[in-house]
Amino acid sequence: MAKPVKVAQLNRYIKQILTSDPILTNVSVIGEISNIKYHSTGHVYFTLKDETSKVSCFLPADVLRHIRYELEDGMEIIAIGYVSIFERGGTYSLNIKDIELTGIGNLAAAFERLKAKLAAEGLFDESLKKPLPEFPEKVAIVTSATGAAVQDITKIIKSRNNYVDIFVYPVLVQGPGAAPDIAAAIADINRRFPETDVMIVGRGGGSMEELWAFNEEIVARAIHESLIPVISAVGHETDFTISDFVADRRAETPTAAAVMAVPDIGELKKYIASLKDELLRTLKHKAEYKTKLLEANSPEAMLLYIKNKIMTYEMRIKYANSQLQDLNPANIIERGFAAIVDENGKLISSADRLDKGDKFTAVFRDGKVKAEVLERGGN
Amino acid sequence: MAEKEMKFEEALAALENSVSELRKDNVSLEDSIRIFEEGTKLYEKCESILNNLKQKIEVFEKE
Repeated sequence: MAKPVKVAQLNRYIKQILTSDPILTNVSVIGEISNIKYHSTGHVYFTLKDETSKVSCFLPADVLRHIRYELEDGMEIIAIGYVSIFERGGTYSLNIKDIELTGIGNLAAAFERLKAKLAAEGLFDESLKKPLPEFPEKVAIVTSATGAAVQDITKIIKSRNNYVDIFVYPVLVQGPGAAPDIAAAIADINRRFPETDVMIVGRGGGSMEELWAFNEEIVARAIHESLIPVISAVGHETDFTISDFVADRRAETPTAAAVMAVPDIGELKKYIASLKDELLRTLKHKAEYKTKLLEANSPEAMLLYIKNKIMTYEMRIKYANSQLQDLNPANIIERGFAAIVDENGKLISSADRLDKGDKFTAVFRDGKVKAEVLERGGN
Repeated sequence: MAEKEMKFEEALAALENSVSELRKDNVSLEDSIRIFEEGTKLYEKCESILNNLKQKIEVFEKE
């Protein structure tokens, strides 16, 4: 039997083997997360297991920052790292350098987890969504410098609106470095070009893995914190990314984003011209209407009323006059009757006033006759 | 009545008022003539405002 070694020596030896083994210093392990614990230090501890075995895992805080997926118990992951031994405790664990997710099923699950987490924080609330400015002067486009997306967007914007400034900020749009790049671009534009009116963030179509950067938390938070309104334009109509939910507007395609971002100047000009026409038309109608109202009350109309009044008066006068004439004693005399007057010339209109022997004058139309009453009554 | 500052609608309303007064039976002939003269002044004021407006419309249309 060999000479017994101390425990410390045993553990140190195991450490030497582990650190010099080419496989164990860079191994990738597939398994399911269980017992995940987020420590107050920022480090994460969990167990990776399969049907029969398990291994402890340690995910340091500074590595967690670069992990592209939300981690949860039950998730199947590929953990990449090295095996390390805690010498004093005699335990070993997998020290994680990166985590990968494969398969649509796993990606979709991770997508749902992050979506639920951010929704609960209120990042998708409608009330947070800023309206797009109606007349932007500066538009920023955060996308790949190559590819169809940037060309489509700039072409559509220029054809609608030759007044706006376009500023392309190229970024990686897939792979592990994309999300930090995109987030930094959004923050940078906010910091250095705060006068930008609207920002389009996106890329052309692709698989879920290819679009994954737009599902990462760091991009979602950058969009959320952007003071400049963000239009998310990722992939095709049927692709929905976390960026789409947190952005102020979602465009189904890069082309749609260009249409959303800027008004069509040609259409606007036509609209303004039609408004001016309507204004003029309304003014003319009003003038015509008021003219009609006025004419109904013209001096000619007023004179008519006065003439009518005068005519009515004239009729009254004529009528009164004819009545007067009928009652004119001179007219009665003209008709052949005689007026009986006394010595003072006053009319005697009643036989009772005359007695036998009274003297009176009869006035005929052609002269007077003096007479004396013979007797009263009789014919 | 300060006719100089009167707006169109005010003058038109006063004119319409005058005309309805004139139609009444119980207004004397002297009053009628007075109302007629006032009404004519109001009418002329309204007419000049409208003519100004129509001239401006012509200018707008030419543009």
